[in-house]
Amino acid sequence: MKFLFLTLLSICFFLPAKANTIFYLTKIPNLKVYHLKTSNDIKYLTAEKPFKVGIVQNNVQCGVASDEEVEKSFPIIKANFDKYEKNFLNKINLKYVVICKNLKVSDINTAGVPNHNVKTLIIDIGFDTNHFERSMHHELFHMVDDSFDNLFSKKEWEKFNTPLFKYAECSTCTNNLDLTLIKDTRGFLTEYSMSTASEDMAEIFSFLMTDKKRLSKIVMDDSIISKKISFLKNEILKIDENFKFD
Amino acid sequence: MIEKVKQTTSEKLLLALFIVLGLVAIYIFFILPQKCLFIKDYNPKVLSFEKPKNIVVLNIDCGNIIIELYPENSPKSVERFKMLISLGKYNGVAFHRVIKNVLVQSGDLEFGKKDNYNYLYIGTGKSGFGTLRSELNEKIEFVTGTVGMARTTNLDTEDSQFFILLQDAPLFKGEYTPIGKVIYGLEVLDTITDDRRREYVLRPDFINSFSLFEK
Repeated sequence: MKFLFLTLLSICFFLPAKANTIFYLTKIPNLKVYHLKTSNDIKYLTAEKPFKVGIVQNNVQCGVASDEEVEKSFPIIKANFDKYEKNFLNKINLKYVVICKNLKVSDINTAGVPNHNVKTLIIDIGFDTNHFERSMHHELFHMVDDSFDNLFSKKEWEKFNTPLFKYAECSTCTNNLDLTLIKDTRGFLTEYSMSTASEDMAEIFSFLMTDKKRLSKIVMDDSIISKKISFLKNEILKIDENFKFD
Repeated sequence: MIEKVKQTTSEKLLLALFIVLGLVAIYIFFILPQKCLFIKDYNPKVLSFEKPKNIVVLNIDCGNIIIELYPENSPKSVERFKMLISLGKYNGVAFHRVIKNVLVQSGDLEFGKKDNYNYLYIGTGKSGFGTLRSELNEKIEFVTGTVGMARTTNLDTEDSQFFILLQDAPLFKGEYTPIGKVIYGLEVLDTITDDRRREYVLRPDFINSFSLFEK
């Protein structure tokens, strides 16, 4: 009996998931349409079932957010992505936002996973509520960076920091993971900013999109942040001259 | 005098069992393989069309699928499609990619021909006429029956392959070139052989003929 049960179970597991038409665009299984009518043409999708994706060993996984959770968070998510115009989103290759819960990359919790090749940004609805809004812009910046890596030179960026400072090899190669705004910034807005140049850029961009007022106060005392902001703004305006910050 | 022997209950049960088994066997061996049994075959000659020049008829084993093309929306793609149809290029080409209740795809003229089917390269074949620019349209909805030009993951790579949707696909709008819509015979498409385990069919069904409508 036990053998029969295990056999049936293994058949269920090893049969490939039935793909739907969303899969052909996003390359993510088990998604359904949540909201399509938006001014900037972003299509919001949710997970019907947990999914695993990834080029190597399906290392990106995410679970299902309940209808109530999605309903509660969706106005916040939409309000934040509505800050971007369709033209800009087309340039950075963002069309699909996947809303799910407990997003992990190689078993490490993460706020979002961008993939400009399939025009998709996966976001974790259950991510740290204090930084949830900002995290969406942070992840979106990675799509900007991935789409225009020639504009956001890491070498140029590193020159803004003090000569003795060195970023880590990767964002998860360090314990600098705190996303709280540092009181005495000294060139970095958060602890996480110190992990890599790319994360540093994404952190500054996220503050630019959510808390420009506070940032304008910080730049009065922090020349490094000021230079970093100018650099980011200049490069982003090269992508879209009509881009509006905040 | 011959004595009448009454059937016992077990004999009656056995007889009933044989009858049931016989019926099941008839169903399995004769009715089930007849996948076209209750499928309506549409004769385009007895139907009337508003724009007959935009009508094309796809014939497969179980009948005709009648498609109306959208030359106003996707002029170049429809032009290519009609040209390939008029040259008979789609005749004998496989429905190589079939996902039950989702879509069917055909039109690989290089590797999908009945007499030259290539399992290794199926789906990657070209027509020899070059690729087309995507003709995306933000107005046309991709609903069940919509016919679209297939492409690689990149835009502007449309050639001869096409797909027909068996379910609504709202996300396809603005992503794929719509070239027409099935107006009769959608149920015929449900009879196309699929493979439950994979998208690419091992023993595919083939197009018998694909022709421009002529009264």
